Amino acid sequence: MGVRKGSSIPIFLQLPATIVIWSLVGYVLIWLLYSIVHRYVPGSSPEFIGLGNFLEMLYDARLHSAVLRTIYYVGIGAFIEVFLGMIIALALVNYIKNDTIRFTLLILFITPMCLAEAVVSIIWLMLVTPEGYINCFLRYMGLPGVGWLSESLALTTLMMIDVWQWTPLPLLLVYAARSSIPVELYETAEIDRLSPFTTFRVVTWPFIRNAVLVSAILRVIFMYITIDKFIMITKGGPGFASEIIGYYVFVQSFSYRNVGYAAALGFLTMIIAAIITYFFWNMLRRRE
Amino acid sequence: MDVKKLLVFIGLTIYGLWVLAPYYLTIITSFKELVDVFSIPPKIVPFIDFKPTLEGYQRIFATKSGWTFITSLITATTATILALILGLLAAYGFSRFSRAPMNDERSFFILLTLRMLPPFAVVLPIVSYWVFFGLADTFFALIWTYTIFSIPLTVWLIKGFVDEIPKSIDDAARVDGYSFWRMFRRILIPLLGAGLVATTALVWLFLWNEFLFALKVAGGNVVTYTAHLPQLKLGQRTLWNVFAAMGVIGSIPPIIILILFRRYIIRLYLR
Repeated sequence: MGVRKGSSIPIFLQLPATIVIWSLVGYVLIWLLYSIVHRYVPGSSPEFIGLGNFLEMLYDARLHSAVLRTIYYVGIGAFIEVFLGMIIALALVNYIKNDTIRFTLLILFITPMCLAEAVVSIIWLMLVTPEGYINCFLRYMGLPGVGWLSESLALTTLMMIDVWQWTPLPLLLVYAARSSIPVELYETAEIDRLSPFTTFRVVTWPFIRNAVLVSAILRVIFMYITIDKFIMITKGGPGFASEIIGYYVFVQSFSYRNVGYAAALGFLTMIIAAIITYFFWNMLRRRE
Repeated sequence: MDVKKLLVFIGLTIYGLWVLAPYYLTIITSFKELVDVFSIPPKIVPFIDFKPTLEGYQRIFATKSGWTFITSLITATTATILALILGLLAAYGFSRFSRAPMNDERSFFILLTLRMLPPFAVVLPIVSYWVFFGLADTFFALIWTYTIFSIPLTVWLIKGFVDEIPKSIDDAARVDGYSFWRMFRRILIPLLGAGLVATTALVWLFLWNEFLFALKVAGGNVVTYTAHLPQLKLGQRTLWNVFAAMGVIGSIPPIIILILFRRYIIRLYLR
């Protein structure tokens, strides 16, 4: 009934967006597939090396430590964000009974995630730079300053900044899920004299589980693919102390102009991102 | 019981300070003179500890830094409009003709995976693409790139809104003799109303905040405010008050959007 004049409309609706997207993405894919099997540095002609770029990765010690750093940065960072966000969201709903105050607090708490990564970077650069605010406060109180961007702390500092910016995401999702739980369930739990922990396990958790999982997925993926803070604050340094995979690919692409190798790394990171998405997605589906 | 409540309030207060303190320091830094920025004891209360000045903001608008905000505004707005037009058509197709070729679920997922691509892995081929066409570092290149990478989000959001409109309304309009376009314009777009506005705001927000493409696809002649920030750092000494003022101006649109569209921002992540 809806499509009287034949079935040309459905395809016609998709064509403009599809053509626009593939005009660029098609080139990107072909470029990547070509580059990953070549050794190519601008100025010289590409040399076919098959899987050579991938073999090189096996011997690239700098890459290996970047992988370990990524696991540290993403794993611990995402865990703190999800856990902290969940606690704050539950505390807000359970203990702040005044609607206006609660909503105002929620908006205040989630502000950081709306700011640009680059803006968050300069906000925090002012705090953690050696002569910055945090060290000013510490010295004022008679304590020694801390080298927040030193070799041993730089990556953890970046993680802390990401926690500041992105704890709001799990907070928001868990808050929305927790708000949707009918009050009657808690009244029943109270009548049954369930302990707070049992109430959480039996009543709250089943409702917020998906929100927690989704926010964990999103945080893991986006911490892994976003390198804005690394470009702005540490540039992977000092030395390579805060170099994660994404930033290493960026350096190979734009500093060393090692195009073939950078493309191979980029290609591999894409596949890893796809696997992570797929893995979590299945987990979510199975739970439902 | 009351002790527990007190602990929760203390916890929330600490979290509130942790969230707000960095932003507060940024705002006051933007009104400081450079000599007042970092001092021991720290100067944190305007008018008492230090005399506020507009020096930071004046520097921005006296130099090309001010223009970077206009550049961001132009690129983000144009790309949002283009993505909205293309995305609206596609979203309608995904929602209404889910069995037609190119409208099925698999095509939809292929589209969504675009959003999960690591930008650092595709930025080099994209730069190479624009160099190939001789368009690197132009408004056209940046806007077009932005449009393409905004389409998935646009389609995803609008599809959700279209799904909520019963298909019988489309059919009724067609039975009444409306052409497809007339139905689209007169019935569908007004019904989508608030959803389209919210989608526009969110897509625009992501582009306003975008950094890596702005830095590498453009960044020389065409400089957005985010791409301008690392350039500011290169001077002999860091102009912290200018830095802070850039951050404050850059964060005004996101905060306005957050306050106006809070319900939709929740929705963005819930589907």
